[in-house]
Amino acid sequence: MLGRDGLAGLACLAGSLWLLALTRGLPHPALVPIGPSFYPRIVLSVTAILSAVLVVTDLLARRRARRAGEGRPAAPGARRNVGLVAATFALFAGYVALLPLLGFRVATGLFVLVIQAVLDEEPRRHWLRILLVSACTAALTHLAFEGYLSVLLPRGRWTGL
Amino acid sequence: MFELLGASLLDVLQWKYLLPLALGTLAGIVGGALPGVTITMTIILVLPFTFGLDPLQGLAAMTGVYVGGECGGLITACLIGIPGTPSAIATMFDGFPMAQKGEPGRAVWLGVWASVAGGLLGAVFLIATTGPLAAFALEFGPWEYFSLFILALSMVAGLTEASLLKGLLAGAIGMVITVIGADPIMAIPRLTMGSEFLRGGFPFLPILIGIFAFAQIVADVEKMSAGRATPTPLPPPTLAVSHLAVIREIVSRPFLLLWSTIIGLLIGVLPAIGGSAANIMAYDQAKKFSRHPERFGTGIPEGIIASESSNNSNVAGSLVTIMAFGIPGDAVTAVMLGAMIIHGIQPGPLFISQEPRIAYGIFAAYLLAHPLAVVTIALGTRLFLKIVTVPKSALIAVVLVLCTVGAYALNNIMDNVWVLFIFGLFGYALVKLGFPLAPLILGVILGDQIEVNLVRAIMTDANPWLFLTRPISGALIALSVASVVLAVWQHHRTRSRLAQAPEPDLDF
Repeated sequence: MLGRDGLAGLACLAGSLWLLALTRGLPHPALVPIGPSFYPRIVLSVTAILSAVLVVTDLLARRRARRAGEGRPAAPGARRNVGLVAATFALFAGYVALLPLLGFRVATGLFVLVIQAVLDEEPRRHWLRILLVSACTAALTHLAFEGYLSVLLPRGRWTGL
Repeated sequence: MFELLGASLLDVLQWKYLLPLALGTLAGIVGGALPGVTITMTIILVLPFTFGLDPLQGLAAMTGVYVGGECGGLITACLIGIPGTPSAIATMFDGFPMAQKGEPGRAVWLGVWASVAGGLLGAVFLIATTGPLAAFALEFGPWEYFSLFILALSMVAGLTEASLLKGLLAGAIGMVITVIGADPIMAIPRLTMGSEFLRGGFPFLPILIGIFAFAQIVADVEKMSAGRATPTPLPPPTLAVSHLAVIREIVSRPFLLLWSTIIGLLIGVLPAIGGSAANIMAYDQAKKFSRHPERFGTGIPEGIIASESSNNSNVAGSLVTIMAFGIPGDAVTAVMLGAMIIHGIQPGPLFISQEPRIAYGIFAAYLLAHPLAVVTIALGTRLFLKIVTVPKSALIAVVLVLCTVGAYALNNIMDNVWVLFIFGLFGYALVKLGFPLAPLILGVILGDQIEVNLVRAIMTDANPWLFLTRPISGALIALSVASVVLAVWQHHRTRSRLAQAPEPDLDF
């Protein structure tokens, strides 16, 4: 049975072998002695070897631990909020997808509003602060970047803003 | 050299440069003081603001963030016992007990003035060695560059706290990321699987923002479980102190100051280690050399002086590496490297001779950032402590928006924002799997350069033994091997010591 390191090593090994197989389709130009596959093959081979070593090291470490009778369950760590992490990633993905459709100001205002509502411990009590922060973030960043620093921000296809 | 430095000092003293430097220093102090917001994150947030500026204005602002951030971390470390940045962890060991004993002003100002002393001593090293080191690097051919980059990667992998194997693998993964996209010689698309998105490869700044800012923010979100509210610090007592007495306390320990500064410089010169290691190592050294090590951790000035002088001189060391060799000393200088490239400046051995105005401008900005940090802290410590009470939910939202702007504004394309998101996920997964991120990012930064120099060397002369037989290249390769062997040996020694150690007597 593999542990965390072993599984990570296995994933890296599979990825590097797959990419290594893809380098076989790369052309070899006649003008230069080294083709575009030369360096990727070296790097991917090194990655594959290191990944394999990680898998083997993990297997050996776990075998040693079993022999030494260290199979005691680990002490419980601090409680982690995985749901909040998943929500943050999902909200950010939604924000990125909506940016070219709604434009920077609208999408940013919405994103800051929703993410604060999700992360805040008492969103109903802090609704005014949440509203103000979202409006100010959207307006001030737009003003600073477009107005002062001449940095163009995404326009919305749906809103024209 | 002194003429150029004098002219640059006058240059940077103009409002055009002084204002971005002062604002950068302020941003650095605030970012450094905020627990959970690292200097890397602060400089990433400042990055998009520099796009519309002149290169020296932008780099002055970033230098200000770097110096200010190192000083800002000590404020919360001393006053509320929470280090604002990892480079202020050791400052807290003695700074917080000193503040609790009723001397908060002495604790903060010992830290600030030690930072200034370490920073200014580091500036001497920065100004004196960058030029000669760059001139030495001009002797390098592709063989030497290849070997130098391999040395940088192997050292970073070996010096990371996680396992050497994972460090090496993280560096290799970073290099794999750079081979996706067009190859640097014939521009033939590689490993793109026909995707237009992958054809141009992954730009390194969105990767950096994703890995260091986004993944860090998500790690903070993960901790927002039960009792999410940030603890509200108590209003600080008066910070009034005799500055002369504090400065006298520092200069009366010249060996401690000098040795801590040297440790900071050396760690800064080594790629991708950073102030977090420097302050702990300097603190440890100060304790070892002390006649009364048992008093460390009880609120003595030596602990604060060692930690703070080392983390500020570390900045100078990192700047030397990037300016002389084009290798980032840590994640902060990696962002600075990205900013330079955006402005059409190539850091490396030719930088100081081709762009003397900017190179000496950075020296001048580094020197001037220290007095600016002192003034800013003198005026605003109470305000910075209030900023610590900003709700995390609002802070995270604003940071994510600024990360998005930073990635988008690089080329005004949404693809970069998706790259930021993908690498945010990837960085978070790597953190959860226990992989160190510093070798990964160094692999991403150096991957292209390693390939270009390897190909250039082989196209010049197909003999691969030249990597070993050319003296500098051979020495660098030998050092790479030695650093890996040393890391393996240290790892085994630690493990065998742990195995031989007797079971501790547990008193139930």
